Amino acid sequence: MKGVLVKDLYIARSNILVMIVSLVVLGFGLSFLLETSALLVLAPVAATTAAFISITSDAASKWNKNVITMPVSRNQIIGEKFLFYILLAILGMLTALVPCVVLTCFGMDITLHSLLLYGSIGMSATLLAGGISLPCAYLFDPEKSQIVFMMSFMASTGIITGLVLLINLVFPVKENILLAFHIVLIISVIWFFISYRIAVKVYQKRDIS
Amino acid sequence: MTNAIMVSGLTKTYQDFVLDHVSFTVPSGSIVGLIGENGAGKSTTINAALGLIQKEDGVVSILDSEELDGDVKEQIGVVFDGSNYPEILSPRKLNRVMKNIYRTWDEQAYLRLLKQFSLPVDKQIRQFSKGMKMKLAISVAFSHHSRLLLLDEATSGLDPVVRDDILDMLLDFVQDEEHSILVSSHITSDLEKIADYIVFIHEGKVVFEKPKDELIERYGIIKCGAAQFDALDKSDIISYRKMDYEWQILVSDRERMQKKYPKALVVPATIDEIMLLYVKGEK
Repeated sequence: MKGVLVKDLYIARSNILVMIVSLVVLGFGLSFLLETSALLVLAPVAATTAAFISITSDAASKWNKNVITMPVSRNQIIGEKFLFYILLAILGMLTALVPCVVLTCFGMDITLHSLLLYGSIGMSATLLAGGISLPCAYLFDPEKSQIVFMMSFMASTGIITGLVLLINLVFPVKENILLAFHIVLIISVIWFFISYRIAVKVYQKRDIS
Repeated sequence: MTNAIMVSGLTKTYQDFVLDHVSFTVPSGSIVGLIGENGAGKSTTINAALGLIQKEDGVVSILDSEELDGDVKEQIGVVFDGSNYPEILSPRKLNRVMKNIYRTWDEQAYLRLLKQFSLPVDKQIRQFSKGMKMKLAISVAFSHHSRLLLLDEATSGLDPVVRDDILDMLLDFVQDEEHSILVSSHITSDLEKIADYIVFIHEGKVVFEKPKDELIERYGIIKCGAAQFDALDKSDIISYRKMDYEWQILVSDRERMQKKYPKALVVPATIDEIMLLYVKGEK
């Protein structure tokens, strides 16, 4: 699996570098307009676009046909893509934290509460979207999966809103906003894992030619 | 003699095509050529053998294992028509990728082959010609101490000089009796040079599996007129074609036919001609 991950890092390298620079610049730029920690909502989502660049590249070069003949199992191929997605999301999150930490050092008021809140929202949206789009990337052709990829982010915001409204039926979200979004994050993690299992199952039976 | 590949009753159904109980073997230490027209089922057979597509029926055993796990795949080198490597990579980056995929990856052998093929190590694959991509794929297949090579139209798109170099490499490879090759190709002249056995697939079925020498040395074509054709014993005929000015009749023992029909012109048959007469001829 390590070799496949190295391949994806090579493919996405320039995209990752652009993403890191953009997020840092945006972080400092945003500080004049709104709370810099809000960047944590956008950062993991933006970072994971590199995963779809690698999926598109794999499809264009028919890499998946080749890699299955190598000592890499179908489970590992899917597992690597989900792992790569999570690593990118974490990288995006860490990059967005850089301007937050620097600005805090220069006296800007960025609270742990806002970091945890925006971080949870960003990560939940990313995991929910990935849980929809990653299995679809192995079900549909690249053009269709790109459309699903874009739609999945819209769907994830809808799902988050729905979940928050449901939680609000159990306890008032406004007074426990952090707890509510942590519950959403946990549900998103579970959804992402279930999605991985589904993708593995689907890919096991899929003809690659 | 053990078999590197044993395919028995391999079946796969598509909407418009059926791979119908295909059976053949690749004995260890030999080169087996898979021939057939476009859409005959050569690639489907290789894809099914490699587990790329799900087979409906049949058994495939590779290197004495019916399960194609990591240990077996470690010993197989595969080359498809096209490099199938991410085009953004360079051969040097591909080396780093492969080093982390194959336990038995031989970096020195890989770099030596790149040099032998005059492939630039730091140029992106997207800038390579088709021939260069094929050479790269062959370099990878030869760089992890494979015991078995599967080549699906791997020599197509290469110029005759490079093709000849690669055929020599394949012949060198099978000098070790543990090594074997299954190669599908449209270029039957290549197979005439290197193959020990020929498996001919037509419309999803194996028409024959024979030693190449038997085909080249024993098979023949009787070229004759209508009267001579009528006089032939029909049980001697494998298939025949009526051409503009003559009849062409495929026979399995040209020396016996020459003795039996001394007035007939019996000429040796190439694999191409044998294939054509099987596909286009009548029985």
